[in-house]
Amino acid sequence: MSAKSERISIVSAGAVTPIGQDLDSFWSGLLDGADGISGVERFPVADLRVGRGGEIKKLTRAVDWRRVPDCRATRLLVSAADDLCEQSGQRALDVEPARLAVVVGTALGGVEEGERALRGGSARRLRGALYDAPARRLARWLGARGPAVTVSTACASGATALAIGAGMLRRGEADAVVAGGYDILCRFVMRGFDGLRSLTRERVRPFDRRRSGLLLGEAAGLVLLRREREAGARRLGTLLGYGSASDATHIAAPDLEGRGIERAVRGALTDAGVGPEAIDFVSAHGTATPLNDSAEAAALRRVLGPRGGAVPVNSIKGALGHTMGAAAALEAIVCLLAGRYGLVPATLGLEERDPACDLDCVQGSPRATRPRVSLSTSLGFGGCNAALVIESA
Amino acid sequence: MRAPAIRAVGLLSGWGPGAGAVPADAAAAATGCALLTLARPAVTHERFRRSRRESLLGIAAVGAMLEDAGVGAEAIAGERTALLFATAAAYAASNRDFIETRIGGMYFPYTAVAAVPAEAAIEFGITGPYEILVGGPTATLRAVARATALLESGACDRALVLAVEIFEECADLFARARGGLARPLVEGAGCLWLEPGEGTLSFDQRRGVPRETGGARQRFGEMLACEPVMALALARDGSAAGPLRLQGAWRGESARLEWSRNPYRMRRAARPERRRIA
Repeated sequence: MSAKSERISIVSAGAVTPIGQDLDSFWSGLLDGADGISGVERFPVADLRVGRGGEIKKLTRAVDWRRVPDCRATRLLVSAADDLCEQSGQRALDVEPARLAVVVGTALGGVEEGERALRGGSARRLRGALYDAPARRLARWLGARGPAVTVSTACASGATALAIGAGMLRRGEADAVVAGGYDILCRFVMRGFDGLRSLTRERVRPFDRRRSGLLLGEAAGLVLLRREREAGARRLGTLLGYGSASDATHIAAPDLEGRGIERAVRGALTDAGVGPEAIDFVSAHGTATPLNDSAEAAALRRVLGPRGGAVPVNSIKGALGHTMGAAAALEAIVCLLAGRYGLVPATLGLEERDPACDLDCVQGSPRATRPRVSLSTSLGFGGCNAALVIESA
Repeated sequence: MRAPAIRAVGLLSGWGPGAGAVPADAAAAATGCALLTLARPAVTHERFRRSRRESLLGIAAVGAMLEDAGVGAEAIAGERTALLFATAAAYAASNRDFIETRIGGMYFPYTAVAAVPAEAAIEFGITGPYEILVGGPTATLRAVARATALLESGACDRALVLAVEIFEECADLFARARGGLARPLVEGAGCLWLEPGEGTLSFDQRRGVPRETGGARQRFGEMLACEPVMALALARDGSAAGPLRLQGAWRGESARLEWSRNPYRMRRAARPERRRIA
């Protein structure tokens, strides 16, 4: 069997988000239209134009926090991993520690530890500021002794992490990979986006005519990847394909025509061995910034061709805010759950469709449809674009 | 994996340009100096008004690689070139400046790890597959393995592996957090040009650090993610046809790459057939 023909199963998933701190409450929150946006309380925001976001007020999972460093990024990851372990059942993660790998994506890593260290924190906290520190701590918590890898393709990081995890399984580097993404809401990133005037004072409205910007959120989303022949009967789906591309146009803004994300999607379809006609659902990046949504919509219309106006599309950022490094992983999980439950959540905040985003965005209430093959798209700072093609079980 | 050939290497380091400037023993050559820096490349174009030193060094490394290859930028422009970036801490200086409000909101995008490869992609028009790994030498070795997989799959015709590390702006912090770092700290920026080659490449990463992985650091100091690029640049002058083995360690993990044949001395293979979906 060639490396590429080895199918990679997504066995289970775990999530901690502003609308739910386990997979089931995350999903039911999306279906019920839960709004995770609130005033930020964990750090000062009074000097910022916008002080709202998708903040998790309290981590509620019953984890022994004495075993986990006092680092919010690590704690988000551990919370999601705790849910993943619960969702997986005991046997799924029962692999030799040296054969269990961790691959996580992040835009911010342990930057908040850097903020604290610069205020006089310890050398240990300073080492925790390196962006790969939380992944290593997650590996330690899981008891994983295989490779611990961190990727940082900005807000596309979660998708890159899943692809690298799949590659590790295909090459036989590991027998199981915990892969996904995370990022926290902290003053560093709030001040950054506030300074760029990217945050909206209104509601987050993906693909809406009145959209005026994004709000940030914090979350972690993880999946358990295994080779299909070792995955067992219980699984959420299959990672069919991945593509990535650079915009090479601007340090922060997306390519206005969406050429980068188009290349990433075409690459993912090629990698998956399917054509655009196979796509039943798109879990879009949909940040609700004027530039992103129109560029992404244009790219999707070009790739999907005549079916572009008929394939259901949603964005979860109206409910969670933009969770950065976690976004792509959570959006991939949405693809899997939509296939499992036969429902596509509505795009919270979308009320008046923008003719410039001529897509079939699910609006108002969930749509009863059972996507078999889904596409997840992600764009980020630095012209990072990534796409995943996912088949539901 | 089918091994990639190395067509060219661009390398700048605190020791000077290229591999020829590297001493036999870093500690002796540094004569007590804890840090060897790289100057900010002199650029005047308006586009670079907010660019950080690490980004400009990344661009300079790609430029040095093109010079080594004897070709112009058009040879790597476009969607058939993949760009993979690795660093352990190149973002630390911009993060610190932003935290300590030495720079304003418009500089925020430059705090991202992705800022360095983004500037290189923009400068050279590289629009193909794009991945960024965070870590020390292990991240760069994995980036070479990922590049090899992309070449093998036909996702690209050539892959650039770029690594950048700077220390000067955070020298006090590195001194505080020194745990496990060799002396001296040596800033670097390096870029490898990989193309489909012959023979095989094997890669593995595991917990634990074999004793022999310290040799490179003894020779040229602590270069974090730039270490494998430096090691490959130094290996170029070896006359053996192969194999070539590289090792690197970072935070309790080690990684190893092994070419079955010398990657500088192999004939470049024909391009893999590009898979298309109608």
